[in-house]
Amino acid sequence: MASDTLSTTDLTSLGIAELAPLLRDRVISPVEVTEAQLDRIARLDNRLHSFIAVTAEPARIAARKAEAEIAAGSYRGPFHGIPFALKDIVDAEGVPTTAHSRLMPDTPAAADAPVAKRLKEAGGILLGKLATFEFALGGPSFDLPFPAALNPWNTDYLPGGSSSGSGAAVAARFVPAAIGTDTGGSVRWPAAVCGIVGLKPTYGLLSRRGVQPNTFSLDHCGPMTRTVRDCALMLQACAGHDPFDPGSADAAIPDYAAALTGDIRGMRIGWVRGFYAGHASDEVTQAVDTAVEGLRALGAEIVEIDLGPLADYCDCKTLISMSELFAIHKPDLQTRPEKFGAKLRQRVIGGAFIRGEDYIQAQRWRTELARGILASFANVDALVTAGWLTTADSAAPGSPDMFRKWLNVTMPFSLAGIPAMSVPCGFGEHGLPISLQIAAAPFAETTVLRIGDAYQRATDWQSHAPILS
Amino acid sequence: MTEFTPTRDEIVLLARHAGLDLPPAYFDELVDAYANVRRMAARLPHNRPRGDEPAHVFTPTKFLPVRS
Repeated sequence: MASDTLSTTDLTSLGIAELAPLLRDRVISPVEVTEAQLDRIARLDNRLHSFIAVTAEPARIAARKAEAEIAAGSYRGPFHGIPFALKDIVDAEGVPTTAHSRLMPDTPAAADAPVAKRLKEAGGILLGKLATFEFALGGPSFDLPFPAALNPWNTDYLPGGSSSGSGAAVAARFVPAAIGTDTGGSVRWPAAVCGIVGLKPTYGLLSRRGVQPNTFSLDHCGPMTRTVRDCALMLQACAGHDPFDPGSADAAIPDYAAALTGDIRGMRIGWVRGFYAGHASDEVTQAVDTAVEGLRALGAEIVEIDLGPLADYCDCKTLISMSELFAIHKPDLQTRPEKFGAKLRQRVIGGAFIRGEDYIQAQRWRTELARGILASFANVDALVTAGWLTTADSAAPGSPDMFRKWLNVTMPFSLAGIPAMSVPCGFGEHGLPISLQIAAAPFAETTVLRIGDAYQRATDWQSHAPILS
Repeated sequence: MTEFTPTRDEIVLLARHAGLDLPPAYFDELVDAYANVRRMAARLPHNRPRGDEPAHVFTPTKFLPVRS
């Protein structure tokens, strides 16, 4: 079969949308794609530490099975034969879930999390488990049992988090697709600073079961890929109702790729410039402003919208999260605090000082803030702002803890529970990526994807690749 | 009302009251966390109408046993 014309490097540079027809038409085999990705990981991940565990042999078995199925005419769809990886707070049967922590037992997970199961059922080939901030919160930490992931664009910098390994691995062409999780921005931040696409879907669209919790009312799984089209294809493969997850939404799943018409003429887009202007670095502000002008040039009507101070959303979200995190981690904190990485412990410990009244007032504030955002969709189809306020942070130990300094531009859409996606929109100092964020009404993933895809058709940021070899 | 600014010992006691009785090695982290949390909590809007709902909705059917 294949690959008289496609080298190993070529195969790892292809995304889902490019691989799928080649796999379907047996121009290439899932075995070749899997071997190419495993080879790249083996050669280069010692520089990035994006993987905690590479499940090479089970991947080879799955790849041979996919190859046989396709050869037998049982092609399952665009995710069939596609390698992917999971943030290591998501269970995969037979593999320990470490949460990048000493606190987890090293026993294998008994079953796949539904989001992993759906991807496998779509024919996806799991290559392994990816680095994360400890329990999707405490990081980057340099006192954990696994090293912190680094940014493939420049290894003196971090890949953001908490889905740090997911961002790094997709950007590095180790996998074309990864699952991250996002409570306050943990898909969108690493996507933004790694120059890839990361979607936090509507709350409940993807099951949270089998995923280590951070904040029950804010936790989401989300696809991370190099293009918006790939994101749509991956979302199609993993979205759906899970009756065993009380947060799961029993919503119709549209054809996401069909929404990618490339045409956004006449769409009204709310420009939330106040979320980043004056807060972001100059290079981020300029790149995002330029990207918004690009959307205008594509025929969208841009309307500037004020959604209030960003700090309100951050304080509200953080108080809610710290309360829930304390409830989750307090038994371990009390009995074995030394097993925590310092950053996780320092972020969880404050939950002891949040009173019941504070928590309820924060939840009432969430209602008010979310209603403010949701009301804007009476007048616009989507909102745009920065994907992150800075480029990647330095990896030097002792660098300032961004959890204390930050204003977080992803948190407003977390509180509102709406779909929001980071899309690359430029590069800044040191060759580090900059990102645009697009959000829309609940379950309007098609709108987010359509705008992002139209933007990517008109630009070429997604075609840039970090140089690792 | 004057803002309550607890001493280090009082912060340790507040943590103990919340069920967290940590060794002295972690007292600095408790003191630091206290200041950070109370700064955020001080910004919470209060004096809402009594009927203002928190962002909690309990849907009983979500917790019914699922038949496989």
